[in-house]
Amino acid sequence: MTDGRVTVSNLKKVYGEADEGEFLSVVGPSGCGKSTLLYLIAGFLDPTSGTVAVDGEPIDGPGTDRGVVFQDYALFPWRTVEGNTTYGLEEAGVPESEREAIAERYIEMMDLDGFEEKYPEELSGGMRQRVSLARTLAYDPAILLMDEPFGALDRPLRESLQDHLLDIWRDLEKTVVFITHDVEEAVYLSERVLIMTRHPGTKKAMTEVDLDRSKGREAIVTSDAFTRTKNAVWRSLREETETGTEAR
Amino acid sequence: MANADVPLSTDPLPGVLRAPAAIVVQWLPLGVVTALWELASGRVVDRAVLPSPVTVAGAIGDLIATGEVVPHLTVSLIRVAIGLGSSVAVGVALGVGMARSKPVEDFFDAFLTMTYPVPKTALVPLAILGLGVGTEATVSIVFLACLLPVVLNAYNAAGDVDRNLVWSARMMGTGERRVLWKVVVPATVPEIVTGIRQAIPIAFVALVSAELVASNRGIGHLILSAGQLGNYPRMFAAIVVISAVAYVAVRWFELLCDRVIAWT
Ligand SMILES: Nc1ncnc2c1ncn2[C@@H]1O[C@H](COP(=O)(O)OP(=O)(O)OP(=O)(O)O)[C@@H](O)[C@H]1O
Ligand SMILES: [Mg+2]
Repeated sequence: MTDGRVTVSNLKKVYGEADEGEFLSVVGPSGCGKSTLLYLIAGFLDPTSGTVAVDGEPIDGPGTDRGVVFQDYALFPWRTVEGNTTYGLEEAGVPESEREAIAERYIEMMDLDGFEEKYPEELSGGMRQRVSLARTLAYDPAILLMDEPFGALDRPLRESLQDHLLDIWRDLEKTVVFITHDVEEAVYLSERVLIMTRHPGTKKAMTEVDLDRSKGREAIVTSDAFTRTKNAVWRSLREETETGTEAR
Repeated sequence: MANADVPLSTDPLPGVLRAPAAIVVQWLPLGVVTALWELASGRVVDRAVLPSPVTVAGAIGDLIATGEVVPHLTVSLIRVAIGLGSSVAVGVALGVGMARSKPVEDFFDAFLTMTYPVPKTALVPLAILGLGVGTEATVSIVFLACLLPVVLNAYNAAGDVDRNLVWSARMMGTGERRVLWKVVVPATVPEIVTGIRQAIPIAFVALVSAELVASNRGIGHLILSAGQLGNYPRMFAAIVVISAVAYVAVRWFELLCDRVIAWT
């Protein structure tokens, strides 16, 4: 069983480490290589230098211990919402009745009930994104690698799914590497935020987020600590985009 | 829902007339050709060589009424089915294999490019030499003629499969080989279908050409024997019958695909 410590070292510069059960967000200018970093951890791409390790073991290709939520959803167009959601369970040999129950749980969580028999083609972008989330959560990988998973959603839905994700992360003790361009989202969700430099992206800074999360969203987002951290990340990121413009 | 099929038509005709109008437009060329044929027969070309459509219609009626056409048509259809079916099986495997494996691609690429311009019906004498007159020779010609459209469509599409789809399956535990079957083939289905759709008329062309010389049965043989006896109404009747059957085969396949492939 994977505990879920992700180490990324010496890919040009040390990227860092996500501890077992940690929620780590990654922010950086567009095109800096955030998705590429995620694909390296997923084992889809091989680093030209350096290593990616899970629990200290260098990875060897993709594995069911890591689940990616793709930026462009990457749903199977020939499978229905339910068929997409059960794919990982099918491959794991989970019996059909169980598969359906698990899929239904996540379909409901993603507010997609009634759409089980629809094909991705028939859904809106935001709905596809939620199917993609359901699909990855359903087969229960220890490490979630999420590439702007809430980018296509409106605010109420995004906030509700953020809280669902936090529940899942806490209850199931998953390691989450979460890419976003939304600084507020990064700070709200994560324990640490990795800020990347502009292309070709390296680690610029790692910011600790120290919030009292016992009180609920409103108390958190209105707290001084939240605002302070958010501003610090924002400034750091802003520096990158500005030096980026000056260089050009 | 975002992509619901809302009919956006710029057709100036009112709705009730649209369907009949489409049918008229669809069948108009055939009507024109038949009319020209009727006019030419007996005026431009000797009626004995080019019998009028009415005479041919009578001959078609005879062919059907006597049941003569049935065994020939059955043999021909079985040959098309076997030839086309095996070309789909081999073609999809070959196309997908070429797209996903460099050695397989290198091995077949030059071969396919070189055999592409060869008219497959030019191989009929060779097929007779190797396989004798009969089903084996005709089926192999149909197979060869259909293979290329199937391979090329599958090959191009399988090479273009979104890498994220392949990665999705890999992360959910599908092995590198199995991905071909679980992802690459289904993702390629729309183009495979296009290839088969293109191959159906080609199959009938190859079939008739091969049966003209390489068979003692089948519609192609019927055409040739009627021609040799100078029974031109019967010859044209056989040609019309096989054309109609080919048309029905294409339409049937299109309808089947609409039904079976719900996701495109
Ligand atoms: N370390 C690197 N060195 C060189 N090229 C890189 C590196 N990381 C990423 N790239 C290349 O940069 C391009 C953009 O990378 P990527 O898609 O990962 O960016 P991104 O940060 O996810 O952008 P966006 O925020 O727009 O999604 C890709 O072509 C990728 O191959
Ligand atoms: Mg990206």
